[in-house]
Amino acid sequence: MLFLRRTLPLLIAFIVGTLGILIYYIPHTAAQDLEQELARWDRIIAAFAMLLGIYSLMSLHLNRVKRQQGGWGYSFLVFLGFGLMILFSLYNDGLGPFKPQVADSGPFVWMFDNVQVPADATMFSILAFFIASAAYRTFRARTPEAAILLVSAIIVMLGRVPIGVLISDWIPWFSQWLMAVPNLAAKRGILLGVSLGAIATSLRIIFGIERSYLGGGE
Amino acid sequence: MRYILLCLTLLFCMCPVQAQQPTQIQTMDTPNDAGGSITLTWNRADLPPKSVYKIAIGESPNGPFYLATELPTTANLMSDDPATFGHGDETAQTHFFNITEYQDTNNTEKPLKLETDKTYYVQITTQLPNGQMLPSNISPATAIQNLFNKTKINNFILGTVFSLIILIAIYMARRHEMYIRRIAGLEALDEALGRATEMGKPVFFAHGLHPMGSVSTIAAVNILSRIARRTAEFNTELKVANNDPIVMAVSREVVKESYLNAGRPDAYNDDMVFLAATEQFSYAAAVDGMMVRERPAANIMMGYFYAESLLLAETGANIGAIQIAGTDSYTQLPFFITTCDYTLMGEELYAASAYLSREPKLMGSLKGMDVGKAFLLLTLVLGTLLATMGNQTLAHIFTAY
Amino acid sequence: MKDFLINLDRRFIFIFVAIGVILPALTTFPLPIKPTANVRAIYNTIEEVAAQNGTVLISFDYGPGSMPEIQPMTLSVLRHCFSKKVKVVGMCLWPQAVGLVQQALDTTSKEFDAQYGTDYVFLGYKTGMHSLVINMGRDFQGTYPQDLQGNNTADLAVTQRIFGLKDFDYVICLAAGNTPDGVWIPYGQERYKFKFGIGCTAVMAPDQFPYLQSGQMNGLMGGLAGAAEYEKLINTPGTATDGMRPQSVVHVIIILFILLGNTIYFLYDRKKGGAK
Repeated sequence: MLFLRRTLPLLIAFIVGTLGILIYYIPHTAAQDLEQELARWDRIIAAFAMLLGIYSLMSLHLNRVKRQQGGWGYSFLVFLGFGLMILFSLYNDGLGPFKPQVADSGPFVWMFDNVQVPADATMFSILAFFIASAAYRTFRARTPEAAILLVSAIIVMLGRVPIGVLISDWIPWFSQWLMAVPNLAAKRGILLGVSLGAIATSLRIIFGIERSYLGGGE
Repeated sequence: MRYILLCLTLLFCMCPVQAQQPTQIQTMDTPNDAGGSITLTWNRADLPPKSVYKIAIGESPNGPFYLATELPTTANLMSDDPATFGHGDETAQTHFFNITEYQDTNNTEKPLKLETDKTYYVQITTQLPNGQMLPSNISPATAIQNLFNKTKINNFILGTVFSLIILIAIYMARRHEMYIRRIAGLEALDEALGRATEMGKPVFFAHGLHPMGSVSTIAAVNILSRIARRTAEFNTELKVANNDPIVMAVSREVVKESYLNAGRPDAYNDDMVFLAATEQFSYAAAVDGMMVRERPAANIMMGYFYAESLLLAETGANIGAIQIAGTDSYTQLPFFITTCDYTLMGEELYAASAYLSREPKLMGSLKGMDVGKAFLLLTLVLGTLLATMGNQTLAHIFTAY
Repeated sequence: MKDFLINLDRRFIFIFVAIGVILPALTTFPLPIKPTANVRAIYNTIEEVAAQNGTVLISFDYGPGSMPEIQPMTLSVLRHCFSKKVKVVGMCLWPQAVGLVQQALDTTSKEFDAQYGTDYVFLGYKTGMHSLVINMGRDFQGTYPQDLQGNNTADLAVTQRIFGLKDFDYVICLAAGNTPDGVWIPYGQERYKFKFGIGCTAVMAPDQFPYLQSGQMNGLMGGLAGAAEYEKLINTPGTATDGMRPQSVVHVIIILFILLGNTIYFLYDRKKGGAK
């Protein structure tokens, strides 16, 4: 059992990880064909992972409904929404499930356009209010560095909208300079560090040093 | 005397003609490819304007030859392809062309692609503006599949060196104690958990939106295992809201293991680690609702976040929770910095798991990363200085082709 | 008053932001929109592709949440391509984008009488992210044997001569996530060296500047302002141009609140050691 739970996954991770790295340097058709095949398998696994996600979600909400935990009515709504969308998708605007999905009419598209799109867009729009309140509360020039940050933020905010051009042509120019020089330098520094971190973590996974992705314990 | 003059005249007339013929022709397999291509190089010549090179190819040295391409005499210098031919001065004096197909007009309208492991014969002809054709000798070449892409040799060497540094550092960490500097956000972790215990309120943990394969999620799960151990010891309620079912499955195992190691397996239940939603804003709405209803005393957000970061952090700030965030998502750092009490930036998130656990594998990786960064810093400074003085050697070494 | 300002209820800020969005949206006043070099680069590249009768691949990687920022870019780029007879191949790395892109294609194709199959093709969504790009890079028709409507890509005029990513003259990614720098650049642009431009949400735009400087990207439309600049370039004002009015006013409101907060801090709060 330990072989299946620990040893085999680690072996697969090592072989596939090492192959994946070597393939990058080998132009031979055999290596490139292998890469294409591995990519195809990854896409198939990704599609099945969606099923795993659906099962987890349904199982969680079913337990809530069964136990009538707090807010279980909302769990019932999850089933309702899920069931409706599955039905509409199978109905496929009258064409049935075996024809290509219709993307411009029908109840599925109606639900997407009139329920999901407004709901998602609304949630994203809340950010505008939250950033305003967060900015008021925390953008204080407590230190010289904070003052520089504050001035930069104001210039970029003005530079990104037409009002900056109305005030002065220097504002959009300086805003662009701030993005293209100091911001770029900071981002590149973080990118270098994060990339090294990714290499280190990937090596640990390939060599079986890092096993947390298998789920707990050594 | 007349004969000498005649010979000299003929010689004088022939030389420019010979100089206009393609010279120093080399044919070879195109390097760094999967076959099906032959490369031809020849010296640049001083030719009249509107001259062209015609490259012909055949399957036999006796022909028939088919036109592969026509090139203006200023095109296709080796200096245009430094990945293959390097940066030497001679590359500006040599032409090249990669033949991958030719038009066999006798048999088909579709171009014929070169076959791998088959010998072809190539000839270049200079066509002068007056119509005169000056063919070169016929040269053979065979396209083969290559086993290593030499344009990536710098990448390979650097990657190997970094990998060895990291593996050696991990090996050394198992034998020696390694120093890691204080990280303020992590020092405050105990304070945050203690506050939650005193208030009798839960601790909330979020991993971010990336799947299990992401480096930041792995780091977050490592941190979660330490936090879970502390909450088990302090008997504090822990809630882990997940966005991805696989991350949820791994988190459950990790938290269960931590509670077991803390000697509190009875305190664990699966509802502590739950799937809030699989969509970004559904997740944010679910977690915000949970925060407002249950009012956790401590919010710990570690991982890769997108736009929901501000929704979560601002709601947490509004309910008065102590907030510690860590992300390698550059765009979300400003939101966390403004709304959270402590923020771990970039690789501090990866360092956090090493800091909390002091595990040799994590400490060693961190040290290896530090050595790598020191090397890159040195290269940046040296490269900038050299480039300012007009020397591009270091820049070329680090160019990705 | 002092205490009220120091501990200002955030709902007052919300009210001002709401007014700052609603009133300018209901009124009309002109604002100068000057296209920046990064946006112009995308426009110019599409003009070059048009001159060569080329084909553009557009990857739509966004959802309903980011639709207000990215959908105007989608409409503008499609209008530009269709008006110049540039062939368009559309695909999605995010499933939520399919419905939104279909709407945009339906709208813009009618405006310019673009025909499906000969002027544009929509491939829809497939799983895989970076694996999908790896497969497409080498074998486009094998990865997408059929389009969203079930037509064979080998038979459609737009895609019949496309065999890999190298065969596209320009690739544009309109994204709300990390697909440009996490998927398209490492697995597409780095291997096949095609010209690559992106449109993204405003919050992501600062992230992309290193790739602009290194030449891996040749153009960038950032947020609603980027979309408005593109609308200006194609002389077709739309929702992005209209959106500049509320966005400008709200930016000013936020700046005023920040200045107010700092004034209160320096006048009162600083002496007490500062409050968070």
